[in-house]
Parts: sequence; structure tokens; C-alpha cells
Amino acid sequence: MNKQTILTIARKDMKAAFSSKKVWVPMIIIALILCIVVPSGIAYFGIHFDLVGTSSKDIEKPLNSFIENFPNEDMRNTLIALPTLGYKFVYFFLSFMMIPFFLMVAIINSMVTSSNSFVGEKERNTLETLLFAPISIKNLFLGKVLASLIPTLAISFAAFIISSIIVNVITYPHFKVILYFNSIWMILMFWVIPILVLFNIILNVLISAKVKTFQEAQQFGGILVLPIVGIIISQASGMFFLSPLTLFLIGAVLLIGNLFLLKLVTKFNNRNTLFQSQIH
Amino acid sequence: MTNIIEVKKVSKQFNQREILKDVSFTIKKGSINGLLGPNGAGKTTIIRLLNGVIEAPTGMMNVMGFNPKLQGDEIRKRVGIVTESASLYHDMSAWDNLIFFSKIYGYSNTERITHLLEQFDMLGFKDQMVGSFSTGMKKRIALAKALLHNPDLLFLDEPTNGLDPEGINEVIHYLRKVNQEEGVTILICSHVLHQLETICDSYLFLVDGRIVENGTLAELEDKYLKKINLLVETGLKPLNSQTYKGHPYKRRGANQLEFLLSTKEEITPLLSNILNETWIHTCEITNRSLEAIYFTIRGGRGVE
Repeated sequence: MNKQTILTIARKDMKAAFSSKKVWVPMIIIALILCIVVPSGIAYFGIHFDLVGTSSKDIEKPLNSFIENFPNEDMRNTLIALPTLGYKFVYFFLSFMMIPFFLMVAIINSMVTSSNSFVGEKERNTLETLLFAPISIKNLFLGKVLASLIPTLAISFAAFIISSIIVNVITYPHFKVILYFNSIWMILMFWVIPILVLFNIILNVLISAKVKTFQEAQQFGGILVLPIVGIIISQASGMFFLSPLTLFLIGAVLLIGNLFLLKLVTKFNNRNTLFQSQIH
Repeated sequence: MTNIIEVKKVSKQFNQREILKDVSFTIKKGSINGLLGPNGAGKTTIIRLLNGVIEAPTGMMNVMGFNPKLQGDEIRKRVGIVTESASLYHDMSAWDNLIFFSKIYGYSNTERITHLLEQFDMLGFKDQMVGSFSTGMKKRIALAKALLHNPDLLFLDEPTNGLDPEGINEVIHYLRKVNQEEGVTILICSHVLHQLETICDSYLFLVDGRIVENGTLAELEDKYLKKINLLVETGLKPLNSQTYKGHPYKRRGANQLEFLLSTKEEITPLLSNILNETWIHTCEITNRSLEAIYFTIRGGRGVE
């Protein structure tokens, strides 16, 4: 492994991504909207404007029934103790419903950079020259993975920190609890998301090295958003509760998935195969 | 001179199609060589095989003492390559491109980059985006990129494609300079023959995946030039409309006669005879060009 080569490739790719507004602006906007604007808006308007409408018995009845049947006891008790339906909704939304939003941002942003990795070089006619250079395919691959991993995690972590500050400034006077600073969110941000992002990037880089065009890479990569949509639905319906243990297990499964993908990469670590499939 | 490249009985297939068939040749160290042939003859495949980026199932190859199949990185460290598309990052400046590739080649040296940019008259454009360059400027940066790590061997795949005549002359001029000043052995793939005539020491003719002929221009002339067509610009007005002193001729213009001779040895006596009678301004063998020899070798089939 040649650190100099890996860092050179990663730096070049990151510089290219962040020198193009078309690439980094959407990445920042998605994180800004889903991880900062949405939770801040829900927190502020939910608490101050009584959005859910406590007067409406039609909504109150099924919501209370949902809370009473909630699988996690601590959360159930906390929700029951909150004074208004608006408070209950805000607390529940910020504690649980925000999880898929952060996962979604991590998935989308990692996909944007990683799906372009190899196929982008091919479309610019520069892959051939890289394969003619005295660098191993493994180092080229690792450089590409690093170039996607660093900005994706940096954006996710920055969004988490900013969101935590804004949301807690809005909600702390009402809930007297610091939201996000609990085991679920810590495991999510520092265990699940890094592993998920790495998984998504390795998979997308592999896809990018196999397909012929950027569009194909995006199509394949887009399939990975589906499990996140599944989590949103299951969270919203209370069908599936993301406890710390569940999150830890999701991370562990993804980690095994990463090892499997890395094995695939090693198998794929052949200049002849890459050259013959990509260069014509 | 020692051989820097040795290829013996190499064959290569793609999708059941035979691209190269029993290809064998050698390249001398310090020489400039033209690998000539029509599009699709297998020229690019030979370069890829020699660099070890694709593998040949049969045959033996030796590049600077290394086997491309097993020691590709050792070869790639010592080889510079200019591919058909200049293969540069258009959204980066010329300087940033060269810095990037110098790091990739493990030879980060800003003095060398400055020197090469000066050599290729591109120092004044170093901070401009490569995307804004003309094809000729891109080729010059691609050449500088290929020479960053002081290679012993330079491969050029259709280096003059897309260039105007001025650009072609510039590239030829730089290649000669690199060969003479840095002692770099050069292998140029091209299907545009007349451009290589002035620069190459020897030639390899590749047709349908086979090396059909090789040698220096003089060797090829000796072998294939059976008749001499001598175009003479002269004031001579022979009385016989078909022959002059026993040499058949055709009038090509008001003051131009084209003589058909059997050997080069007949040229001097013929010119002496003419000079005894009148003036001569120019005289040229018209069928000795690389292109003419190429067509003779290919049996009259045209270049694609």
C-alpha cells in the first residue's frame, strides 16, 4: 500500500468534486434541508404553533394508541409524560424519525461522489493513463474510496453537530433533555453511518469500475436508497424499532458486508480485467 | 546498440477475434521507430501489451529486461506514454496536471516540470485550465507528462492526430529533441506515414495483426525500389518524345520530365548528360517515400 499514491488520488478527486458547484452544492443542500432545516422546523413549529392540533380528537386517539403500544418502555413513558400532543410528536420525530434522514443524506452524498469515481475517469479518457502509471489497482481503488469517504462523513458530522445545537436550543427549555446525545444517536453517527457510508462507497466504486457510463452507475447505486426508505416506513409505523442493539447489529452486518466487498475488490484487483472491460 | 524491446511470437485475441498473430520484432536502444499500419491493425494493442496493462496468452516479451506480464510496474516506472486522446484532466491547470502525474509516478520534482514546460514552450500557459487549450497545446502537455519521470522509453500512439501541419511539425521537432538530448528510445504508432519519414530510424509495418516488414528506410528502399522514378526540373527538350539517351521519360510540366531508371547508379550519368545540354534546378526520386514503399508492401491496397 502506497500512502502517497492513495492520498494523491484522493486529493485530486476531492479537489475536482469541490471545484464543481454542480457537485458540492447539492451535497450541502441535501444535508442542510434534511438534517438541519427539517428537524429545526419540526422542533420550532411543533412546539410553538401546535401543528398537530390537540383539539382534534380524530388525530389524538390513534396517536395516543400508537404511543401506548410503543415497544420501548422508556420512550413510551417519556412520551406519555409530555404535556401536549405537539410536544409528543416533536420529541418522537426528533428522537427516531430523524434517523433515516441522516442515513439518507449519508447514502445520497456518498453515492454522488463514489458512482463517478472510475466511470468519471473513463468518461474523461484519463482512466487509461492511470492504468498506464506504475500504481497498483488496489491503491487506485483505495484513493477513490477515500475521496468519497472524507467529504461524505465530514458533511454528515457537520450536519449532526449544527443540527444538535439548533434543535437543542429550540427544545431544551421545553423538554429539559438534550436531544441526540444518547446511545442511539452516538451508535448511529459513529458506528452505523461510517460503516454504511464505507459499504455504499465500496459498492459504488466497484459498480463504477464495472459499468460503462455514469448514468448506469447512478442507476445501480440508487437501489441502495431502498433499504433506507424501508427504515423510514417501519419507523413511522412503529413496526420496527431502532434500539441501540438493533443499530449496533445493523452496523455489524454492514461491517461483515464491507469485508465481503473488500474480498471482491481483491478478486477484482487485476489491471488486465479492468483495462479490457473499460478501455476500448 | 542493444535491444531495449524484444518480442517473439506474440499473439492476442479479443472476443474470439485474433488481433495479433505471431508478432516478433526488436527495438534498438536510443532509436526512433515507427510502428505503421492501418486503423485496427493492432498497433495500440502492441503498446498495451508492452506496458503490461493487458496480457498476451502466448509468446515472449522483454522490455528493458522485464517481463510485462509479471513486472509491469517496473516497466511502467521507466516508460512514458502519450495515448491517442491526450488523457489530461481538463478541469485542472497544466501545472496541477503535471504535479498530479509526477506524484503518481513517485517523481515529484517542480524543477523538472518547469524545465519540460519551457522545452515545450508552455511555461506561459502553466496556470491555464487544460480544457481551454488547443489540441496541439494538449499534446505538448501530454508529452511533458510522459517525460516527467525521465523515462528510458517513450510510446506515442497516433501523436499527431487532430493536429494542424504546424502542430505536427512542432511535435516532430520536440520528439527529435527528446531523443537527441535525453537519449530516449521512441516507438511511434501512426497510420499517417509521411509525417514519420523525417524522424524515424526504422519502421515496422503491421497489417492485420502481423508484422509484414521491418527495417530502415534505406533497407526497405533496397528491397522494394525496383524502378526509380526521377523527376527533374530542367530546360531539356529531347527530340525523341519517349526516350532520352535510352531512358524512357514522361513530361510532367513545362519544365518537368520524369525519367524511369532501373537503378540509382543511372542517375549521375543521366544528370551529367542533361547538364551538358541545359540547366537543372531540382531533381527528386518520387517513388522512394515511405508511403510508396508501404503501398508496395501491402500489394497496392490503400491506407485506411
